[in-house]
Amino acid sequence: MSMELPLVVFTVSAQAAIGLVAISTVRQFAGHGPLGKIRQEWLFAAAVLAIGLLASLFHLGHPLGAPTVLNHLGTAWLSAEAVGAGVLLAVVAVAAFTIKGGVNKALGIIAAVLGLLVVYFMGMTYSPPSFPAYNNVLPFAFFLLTAAILGPALASYFASQEKQAMLARWLTGALLVGLVVHLLAPCIWLSGGTVMRETGMAFVASPLYWARIVLGLALPLAVMVRMKSIPVWLPVLLVAGELAGRLLFFMYSIHTASNLGGIY
Amino acid sequence: MTKQYAFFVDAKRCIGCFTCAMACKNQYHQEPGVHWRQVYPLNEEIYPHRERAFYSLACNHCENPTCANVCPVKAYYKREEDGVVVHEQDKCIGCGNCIRSCPYGAPRYNPVLKKAEKCSFCYQRLDAGLKPACVQSCPVEALQIVDLAEFDNPNAVQYPAGFPRFTKLNPSVRFILPEQPRMVTRSDV
Repeated sequence: MSMELPLVVFTVSAQAAIGLVAISTVRQFAGHGPLGKIRQEWLFAAAVLAIGLLASLFHLGHPLGAPTVLNHLGTAWLSAEAVGAGVLLAVVAVAAFTIKGGVNKALGIIAAVLGLLVVYFMGMTYSPPSFPAYNNVLPFAFFLLTAAILGPALASYFASQEKQAMLARWLTGALLVGLVVHLLAPCIWLSGGTVMRETGMAFVASPLYWARIVLGLALPLAVMVRMKSIPVWLPVLLVAGELAGRLLFFMYSIHTASNLGGIY
Repeated sequence: MTKQYAFFVDAKRCIGCFTCAMACKNQYHQEPGVHWRQVYPLNEEIYPHRERAFYSLACNHCENPTCANVCPVKAYYKREEDGVVVHEQDKCIGCGNCIRSCPYGAPRYNPVLKKAEKCSFCYQRLDAGLKPACVQSCPVEALQIVDLAEFDNPNAVQYPAGFPRFTKLNPSVRFILPEQPRMVTRSDV
């Protein structure tokens, strides 16, 4: 059981930044009213992404060798993930520093599309054959949901009052889908083979899983349904919930090699 | 088919003595706790007898190795002459992606070097005309080396119970299934 803290920080930070720039780009062209503190928003996204990339280096046994990940873009999703996140940081930073009234339309769209691609690369990186529970579309879905939840939540700090209701609707939808997916996934794993079932059992037996479900998804959803707006404290709770969810993702994933000599 | 060396694990012969695993240790002096070859007892669900049966497993030198595919720094390559998958440790940056991704758990983490490492099929010994250390050491000849291009044993299986089935990887290993010991009773005499 490994917590993989650098990877927890990297993936959640990157997905939060991606959600933020994607939501910001869409928000710029949707609904009426002023854009809000958009330069601060993009600078914040760039800083969060930079922190994530920095954290990812601590995962390496030899961080100075990080530039060599460029060597295997052909088949290694990890290479694509690292390069994609690096390019995205450059695009977000350029977009932030060239803001005049709003984000340059082309840069905004490039950042949003590239961000989605990076989430896809991450999903592929963390769905190897060795983890039957994850050797499917679920990591991509989990990561996309993190971006969809943290994007509008963090954007609420920067958006104008006129656009808060739109963000609240997006967050409510993302939380609802997130709650359903995170409740269903372990239930489906329980019907799988030995190793997949062990992953499901590890999840449902963990207090961290239920804390994440209740405090990170159900309670925020109830708050959103009741208040119809994003309270200032809620994004903090959501970030904590996503970090807890990612800890679970790495800690309780059971590897096929743990059951060599047993029935799969 | 081109030459592809494979481990041939005869579970009918294996007595679980761990000599193969220790021979590997003696050859490469891995750090404490790091094993490139390990001997796995079969669960009672698979081998329901109070005697135990074993699979001696290391890297399977797959036809389509996940470790090589996922390594971001190209620290793995597959030798054309015999299909052995080699890890070049000097290129490794210790990202652990191969360790996480190989479904057979072959790459291991060296906590001192902070890099991955795995069974090399003793390719230096192969090149010198010798058998791998594990094969050389097996006292009951339960572990052998075969060339899959020529291997034709109708009793051998690739995916016995207790060994995960990953057809996309096509692991280069073949097994002879263990047999239940014959119970001799008074009526047999």
